[in-house]
Amino acid sequence: MEQVVNGVLVVNTETIPGKLITETLGVVSGSTVRAKHLGKDIFAGLKNIVGGELSQYTELLQESRQEAVGRMVADAMSLGATAVVNVRFATSAITAGAAELFAYGTAVKYE
Amino acid sequence: MADFPLVLLILGLCLGPLLLLALAGTLWSVLYPFVFLWGMLTSGRNLDNMIQDTIDRERATKESLGRDPLTTVDGGYRTDVHDTGLVYASGVFGPSYWHLLIAWFNNLFGGTVTIFQKVISAGRAEVMQRLRENAIEAGWDDVVNVRIDTADMTPQSSGRGVKGVEVFAYGTGVRYS
Repeated sequence: MEQVVNGVLVVNTETIPGKLITETLGVVSGSTVRAKHLGKDIFAGLKNIVGGELSQYTELLQESRQEAVGRMVADAMSLGATAVVNVRFATSAITAGAAELFAYGTAVKYE
Repeated sequence: MADFPLVLLILGLCLGPLLLLALAGTLWSVLYPFVFLWGMLTSGRNLDNMIQDTIDRERATKESLGRDPLTTVDGGYRTDVHDTGLVYASGVFGPSYWHLLIAWFNNLFGGTVTIFQKVISAGRAEVMQRLRENAIEAGWDDVVNVRIDTADMTPQSSGRGVKGVEVFAYGTGVRYS
């Protein structure tokens, strides 16, 4: 939940409100595939019987998403960007219990 | 006969996990009907409690701010913005086995599958409320350009596994100067 990740501003709007974008540097992305250990999978399976929130998987996806955003920002930093705008997320389940998280955006310089 | 315990140890190490698995399987098949029954009795009330909890928190947030901090419009038109940053919230929600059974019957006759709609919209409302809470906690005045994503936790290709839907909401937090 960092507003600025490693000094790079990350927003999902096309422009940065109140700032002027001077240069676009291209698409940057980051992805990760993570899974929980068997014990948590079993607990999630048990929780599924009664329904409601499966907090083990919520946790899994939160961690993965942070990692994906971190990698996207590292990609942007390697291009010398000061911000990533128009960030989008995509999720896909590969097997039950493992999820791929993908974050992408446009690396820009702003003043 | 000195190596007799060693043989036993190796045998135990090989068969132990299998025996444990068999035990767990037996226990599961015995307990399953009771667990299903318990789920049948409690899942409806749990869902209603969750919906009520979300509604209460949403009302509290809206009353304390006097408005809804979330908007889906792009904040580019504002010139008095001091600070911006990404804010997101997510949750994985699943129907109970009882709900799945109701939905299966519902599917036979067609029309609205009310029970799934209830589960997913409850999850979505909960995640939207978490987004509001995260934004307030991080000190943002407003969240612009809010997007909501829904992803299936179980791939279509595999029939087994946890039945769940991930709801993910994200937006750009802004702080006015």
